[in-house]
Amino acid sequence: MLVTVAQAVVNGLLIGGIYALVSIGVTLIFGVVKIVNFAQGEFVMIGMYISYFLATYLGIDPLASLIVAMPILFVVGVLLQHFLIRRVLGLGDMPQIFLTFALSLLLINVTLLLFTANYRTVQTSYTETSIHLGEVYVPVAKLIAFVVAMVLSGALWVFLHATDLGKAMRAAAQNPDVAMLMGINPDRVFCVAVGVSLALAGAAGCLLMPFYPAYPLVGQVFVLMAFVAVVFGTLGNVTGALIASLMMGVAESLGVQFVGADSGLIVVFMMLLLTLAFRPSGLFGGWTR
Amino acid sequence: MRLRRGTLWLGGLIVIVLALPLIVTSHFAIDIFIRVLLFAFIGVAWNLMGGYAKQLSLGHAAYFGLGAYTSTILLIRFDVSPWIGMLAGGIVAMLASLPIGALCFRLRGPYFAISTIATAQVLMLLFLKFRDFAWGAEGTTMPNLGNAPLMMQFDAKSAYYYIALGMLALGLVITYAIERSWMGYYLVAVGEDEDAAEAIGVNAMRIKRQIYMISAFLTGMAGTFYVQYIYFIDPQTAFSFNISVEAALVSIVGGIGTLWGPVVGTVLLEATSALLQSWFGSSHGGVQLTVYSLILITVILWRPSGLLGVFTDAYERVVHAGRAHAREPTLDG
Amino acid sequence: MAEALIIRNISKRFGGLRAVQDLDFSVGEGETVALIGPNGAGKTTSFNLITGFHRPDSGSVLAFGRELVGLRPHDVCTHGLARTFQVARPFGRMTVLANVMTGAFLRSRKPEIARERARETIEFVGLSAKQHTAARDLTTIDQRRLEMARALATNPRLLLLDEVMAGLNPAEIDQAVTLIGKLSKSGLTIVIVEHVMRAIMAVARHIVVLDHGQKIAEGTPRDVVANQDVIRAYLGTGYAHVATPGDGAC
Repeated sequence: MLVTVAQAVVNGLLIGGIYALVSIGVTLIFGVVKIVNFAQGEFVMIGMYISYFLATYLGIDPLASLIVAMPILFVVGVLLQHFLIRRVLGLGDMPQIFLTFALSLLLINVTLLLFTANYRTVQTSYTETSIHLGEVYVPVAKLIAFVVAMVLSGALWVFLHATDLGKAMRAAAQNPDVAMLMGINPDRVFCVAVGVSLALAGAAGCLLMPFYPAYPLVGQVFVLMAFVAVVFGTLGNVTGALIASLMMGVAESLGVQFVGADSGLIVVFMMLLLTLAFRPSGLFGGWTR
Repeated sequence: MRLRRGTLWLGGLIVIVLALPLIVTSHFAIDIFIRVLLFAFIGVAWNLMGGYAKQLSLGHAAYFGLGAYTSTILLIRFDVSPWIGMLAGGIVAMLASLPIGALCFRLRGPYFAISTIATAQVLMLLFLKFRDFAWGAEGTTMPNLGNAPLMMQFDAKSAYYYIALGMLALGLVITYAIERSWMGYYLVAVGEDEDAAEAIGVNAMRIKRQIYMISAFLTGMAGTFYVQYIYFIDPQTAFSFNISVEAALVSIVGGIGTLWGPVVGTVLLEATSALLQSWFGSSHGGVQLTVYSLILITVILWRPSGLLGVFTDAYERVVHAGRAHAREPTLDG
Repeated sequence: MAEALIIRNISKRFGGLRAVQDLDFSVGEGETVALIGPNGAGKTTSFNLITGFHRPDSGSVLAFGRELVGLRPHDVCTHGLARTFQVARPFGRMTVLANVMTGAFLRSRKPEIARERARETIEFVGLSAKQHTAARDLTTIDQRRLEMARALATNPRLLLLDEVMAGLNPAEIDQAVTLIGKLSKSGLTIVIVEHVMRAIMAVARHIVVLDHGQKIAEGTPRDVVANQDVIRAYLGTGYAHVATPGDGAC
């Protein structure tokens, strides 16, 4: 019994690492640019397809494709911010929500048209292997994904707290007007924020490829998880998103183990509902009134 | 007595719309008209909340589905006429909007939207599981009663057309009445600046709750109509995310927070959809949504308040040589 | 004179910051009281505490005999307190008339009556010519007028004005002062937050001075201007000195 729980917890933590990459991306954009990117999941999907094609046609291991996917998505993020998002900033909720929402629809359906709805998978040497910690077994692919996800999260933390650009980003997130007065160019900061955020999403995609199939709607599952984690971990709080994602991964995993196969989603929604009902500002939320 | 131009246009429109099924008899065409009327109605219902009060829900399918299932369960399990079922469905949807609103209104803006999406998804999941009570994932077909007007089943397609038309008219009348009353002003105030509205005595929570109930009720009615029309129900159809999307889309594209916006938007989007279907056939589902999303992006970047503004601008320029107002229509006192 | 507003020891912390501490003062019915103090002194926070936008951690706010703490802003307004915001918040999508009507609807649900009341109020603040202009197209100063009209349309017994004179030129300040004077004569109780000394001296006989969230002085304009703590708060320690009656401080 204990082993079952331990196994579920391990499984949950490992996938939680992926959720973390996606939710950190969402919360970063929200904290800095102040918009919610409904299309975040689709960039995970794009990362997966990039990884898939590199693996299938060039034999490149998905992990190595990180090096290709992340820069590509960074650039996409910069372009997205500079040409699209910038045009709807300050216009109110509606244009912002529906722009990224429309983008999400567009990306899903173009992918559907180009590559059909078929599941694409990649088999690597380590896809089926696991290591054993006592009686718990840890799939290698997921373990690598988790470790890389934590490394990237750590790198982001360092970036935000120890580099000038990162601090500028945090400043712009906290107080855009003052930041501007201090010579910080908001658009530049926003471009970097969106670029980094999408790069993280792409990384999540590459890391998923060894053990998860790619298909047009794959992003939707992850983005819903990410949104709940972002709310639960407090909007705009990167550390909160990380912790919340890990917790949600574990909650989902325990749900699947003890309640039933479909219950993962329900458990997660329950968490959202409970958060909304009792602590809408999230784990790290401050005073609201 | 000189009739105002607007009244003449409206009168002409009404005549055309009433006579349409008599002039155009192709089943394919009437089906499109019915879809337009139905989705315009859903759009009008959404617009009350999303357009005026700016509470952007992306989960209206929840109420559509609840309405649909209520009337179907009443029909098949209890032999209750769908006419009554439609009202019952509306009421169930309306009541559901209370707890859902209580939770979701705790978040604002995009997070409100996300929690509404979550709600619709949860309902879909629940109904996928309710085998005993509600037929689970396979759904069910409506019993074929032939031509049974009292049970909302008709041989003539035009009957459905007139029902949908009646529903749309109802929605428009309700919107018009609200727009001109104190409630209309309060809704727009809350949509513009909730705190400033509170400061002048507007009970924001209550008004949001009230309009959500009305919006949910109407959407529930639409659900009943739809399943009666297609003779089929299942969770994927009834709680389909596409319905939530289209409910919002038609208003945004057509003219958010205006009386006719949803109608304009629906005509445009459904016409596009019909064209796409005839060019590409229905096998390429991705084409329709791709085009919809491109239209949405274009509208957001070019005319965020919707295309109705473009038409009224064009009208102004052609007829009155007036100025162009490239923004949201202003509400006057 | 009956007390319109009694503020008893209200305090509010935001995280580590003590925004308002043990604030205590009263406003008589029909009085005009000015709330002054350096930036960040807690003046707007006090307004927020009084009108229900924030809840005080402790203390009580009695308005016309009724406890306001715990009430939501719309209930506070229904009870007779209206406020303006430091940065005007018009409903941009509506015209001036529609904006003010929204305020008027508090007292009557009928559009004709609300329209009539709105028109009167718009006339009073001098915006009649622009009543059909969209609020987002107004100048900042007209938006302030609109803000005041909208608040007045709710038929308040007590009006809280938050820096309505910021950025006005002398002629405009005079107009505003006249307006406030008229309101005061009609019996309205007014609490005004201001930095423009000239205006304060003209409208208020009773001044409350805040600094770092606490009340440091209270009294007539004369008393307050000569008060050492007030001078220190505004100008720093170097300027404190003993004032004599012939100083011309008024």
